[in-house]
Amino acid sequence: MMITEIHWTAQSSYPILTTLQLLPLVIMMAILTMRENRLVPLIGIAGAVAELLLAINLWLNYDTHQGAMQFAERAELFGPLAYHATVDGVSVLFILLTALITLLMVIYGQVRQLLPHAWFLSLVFAVEAALMSMFVTVDLLWFVLISVVELGLVGILLARWSTSPESELAQTRYYQFMSTGILLLLVGIVILGWNHADATGGRWTFDLFELAQAPVSAGFQSVVFFLFFYGLAVRVPIFPLHGWLPLVAEHGTVAAAPVFLIGLKIGIYGMLRFILPLMPEAVMQWHEFIVTIAVVGIFYAALLAMLQVNLRRLLAFAVVSHTSVLVIGLFGLNQMAFEGAVMLSINFGLAITTLLFMQGFVYRRTHTLLMARLGGLFDSIPVIGITFLIAGLSIVGMPGTPGFDAAHLMLEGAIHRYGALITIAAALGNVVAAGFLLWAFQRAFLAPQDESQPVRKVDPTTSTELLISGVMILVLLGAGFYSEPWLDLIEKSLEGLSALYTTPHV
Amino acid sequence: MVETIQALTNGVPLISLLILSLPIGAALIWLVPGSERSRWVVLATALVDLVLATLILLGFDATQSGFQFVETTSWIPSLNIHYKVGVDGVSVLFLPLTVLLFLGVIISSWTSVRTLPRLYYTLLLLLESATLGIFVSLDTILFFLFWELTLIPLYFLISFWGTGANRRYAAVKYTLFMMAGGVPLLFGFVLLAFNHAEIAGATLPGGLVFDMEALLSQPLPAEMQTIIFLLLLAGFAFKTPIFPFHTWLPVVAMEGPIAIAALMTGLKLGAYGIIRFVVPMAPAAAQDFHWLLAGLGVIGILYGAVMAIAQTNLRRMLAYSSISHVGLVILGIASLNIQGIQGALFHLLNFTIVAGGLFILTGFLHHRTGSTDIISLGGVAQRMPLLTTFFFLFGLASMGVPGTNGFPAEFLVLVSALETHTGAGLAALFGVVLSAGYFLSIYRRTFLGPITSPVVDEAIDLRHRELLLVSAMGLLILTAGLYPNAVLDLTRVASEQWVAGVK
Repeated sequence: MMITEIHWTAQSSYPILTTLQLLPLVIMMAILTMRENRLVPLIGIAGAVAELLLAINLWLNYDTHQGAMQFAERAELFGPLAYHATVDGVSVLFILLTALITLLMVIYGQVRQLLPHAWFLSLVFAVEAALMSMFVTVDLLWFVLISVVELGLVGILLARWSTSPESELAQTRYYQFMSTGILLLLVGIVILGWNHADATGGRWTFDLFELAQAPVSAGFQSVVFFLFFYGLAVRVPIFPLHGWLPLVAEHGTVAAAPVFLIGLKIGIYGMLRFILPLMPEAVMQWHEFIVTIAVVGIFYAALLAMLQVNLRRLLAFAVVSHTSVLVIGLFGLNQMAFEGAVMLSINFGLAITTLLFMQGFVYRRTHTLLMARLGGLFDSIPVIGITFLIAGLSIVGMPGTPGFDAAHLMLEGAIHRYGALITIAAALGNVVAAGFLLWAFQRAFLAPQDESQPVRKVDPTTSTELLISGVMILVLLGAGFYSEPWLDLIEKSLEGLSALYTTPHV
Repeated sequence: MVETIQALTNGVPLISLLILSLPIGAALIWLVPGSERSRWVVLATALVDLVLATLILLGFDATQSGFQFVETTSWIPSLNIHYKVGVDGVSVLFLPLTVLLFLGVIISSWTSVRTLPRLYYTLLLLLESATLGIFVSLDTILFFLFWELTLIPLYFLISFWGTGANRRYAAVKYTLFMMAGGVPLLFGFVLLAFNHAEIAGATLPGGLVFDMEALLSQPLPAEMQTIIFLLLLAGFAFKTPIFPFHTWLPVVAMEGPIAIAALMTGLKLGAYGIIRFVVPMAPAAAQDFHWLLAGLGVIGILYGAVMAIAQTNLRRMLAYSSISHVGLVILGIASLNIQGIQGALFHLLNFTIVAGGLFILTGFLHHRTGSTDIISLGGVAQRMPLLTTFFFLFGLASMGVPGTNGFPAEFLVLVSALETHTGAGLAALFGVVLSAGYFLSIYRRTFLGPITSPVVDEAIDLRHRELLLVSAMGLLILTAGLYPNAVLDLTRVASEQWVAGVK
């Protein structure tokens, strides 16, 4: 597969991708040097807004009529490691989402009083820089190295602001699963590089563009495919590699770390960016196997979600259920399926972030998220309840939310590849998801509080919380009723990939 | 008349105004200080909509086939999805009747809704907007959007203002049933879009066909139709409701607010969907499966009637009687001839007034006595003669007694059914007899006899605004009963086209 790119000088007056990665680091340094200064929260918000504007600038300058990757920047570093950043429509969409989520996270941190504030903010910006880097790079080694950095940073976030006495359990599982994944990914990448060196007479490289041109023999492809798939699936997470998530969700931070871990679907992005173009034969060989696992995953996780008594664990299983839907979409392997999977990843990202934030606001008031102890919250914090419901409906794919267009595109793609049965399973999974989300909403917000529980006073919604809720509702409904710009953004970028899988000679 | 209205409203997007005025009204509710005054905003919005719907009806040219007042705007071009609305003879009458029914619901909630009235009316107006959207959508995805958008207001209306202790359970049950129905429905639409694109040889996804006129103009090959027919039928069966997907209706009727039950039994959106989509989109399959439709219809008629006889609560009885009546509609559709479809449409239109009206009256009764159980009523006629009279009139219409609008509708359906499915027609006749049985029996026990409850003894009769509302409905019942051609003329051309599409 040939991938082409356009150099940044042709499109912009400054290297915008480098700026995207460096700006958060600069803000982080500024915050770290100021520490206890009263201006720190302000700088945090201003910095996050600046980054969001930068991302919007990137989006506006991005040429949606081109199938090639754009804003490319290259620099040789030592040995085979190179700095090679470039974006297509899919990355731009993820970059926008990252910038938006970071901004909300900065505000959220102030609402929840996550102290010391300077530490929290600088960590958030460090994570943002790492994520931006992962979304713009096309060098596999770079991707893995930054993954390690991100693993550590989010790990600190998880440990430092945990609200559970058993946070060590969460950390252990988190590091075990994630580092296994990254190690396997690394092995896969080394094999690919080796293969390339073999074919070209000893020139090592991990650049996606060059690797895509040096085909790997079919047997090797399967090995590399599973190494990559395992490595990225842990991060998504896909059943049966989801074991870390319920523990992290229950014993980690309420929203801070999970938002970065599951709000941004790096795993899905990685599969789309690296697995699909590099290993077409292995994908064709194994895709039915993967989809079977995903179908099992939908129902397994949905059933477990219904059994949970803790809202935090419930959301974790909801995530596992819907990522399985995503995988089915991705492995539909045609234009509509890819578009649907990308849109759905963004939608799930937005929706689950909203749910986690709302959960955080509830936790701030009740100091528990056991559903038996909640109830009656709608009377005192209706806006938070409504936002929770809209985000939940978006996960279900209710028309009018971004989930709908994404879900029906994905269904269309899946019908094409797998026929009716799998698709109906995926759609039914959605209804089950509706079941547990509605039920959770009712128990937490609508049902009267259990009389055996002590009467509590619930503070009304503050203006900052209203702001976050309002922004989330606007973004969800706006993108839901008018999804055209986003479809337009990713359409051309995915055509090359879908041609790879739908033209008969592959 | 038609020309004058058309000339006057030329270029005015009447249908979009009809749909959009409601959310605007809903927003205005929150701007007006004082929740007492906000009710008048709601009433004004509903009246504006009544005027708009009447304008559309009067400006509708019944002699022309096809869709009128069509508006098209591109919505999601890369998927070929449009915002496209319009009306034809099948849908045009539903607009004013729906608005009228909502007006009735607003009036019947006037004093009975005391908690969070603004939220209640906002949700009600949003629900009305989505419901009207269902009747006018000419794009399957747009239709589906409105179809699902009705769920959110209903979910809250049932969970917050329900009268039963299990209202939250009822809300979730309703929502899940409808979502389960949504899956095959969306699936059917997507398959339709796919197959049409493939036949036309268009590139995907830009060539997907969601436009209803395009879908209707060229039916699919017969072998593809079966699966589409079954999927769409399954999707609509939940909302219709067709046995065995009906179990939500009695629960919602008992636990939900009575005014909302009036909407659910009055607006048979599922049956409308079957007429609008299932049969025209898969005509060959409909001819193969006419026995399935007829069978489902007869089961519905008899099951609903037998269950209605056994009820001891007015609301449950009305819910089951509505299941029985909708069976008759399905039977009318199954005959696939002009009398059948005209009868079915007529019957559906009657529902908005008759079933909706009966529930609204039941709501008045409940508001006065606090119960709809027969055991705590009895002798209502002595204290509330007007209410009793109207209840009886609406009951006669629901039994199909000549002179009321129920008669021509039932007559048409029975005639066509006897012609095409003789056995089913005979069974339906028996069902009509049963309907007289259950209605008269429960009527006698509720309204006649001695007064046993002190609450009934102290209750007052219909207030002026209530009287006005039910008189208007009663007038419509008698007009359509004595002069059925008013309705039949409007639906004739569209029905002929419908039948021609099937043959």
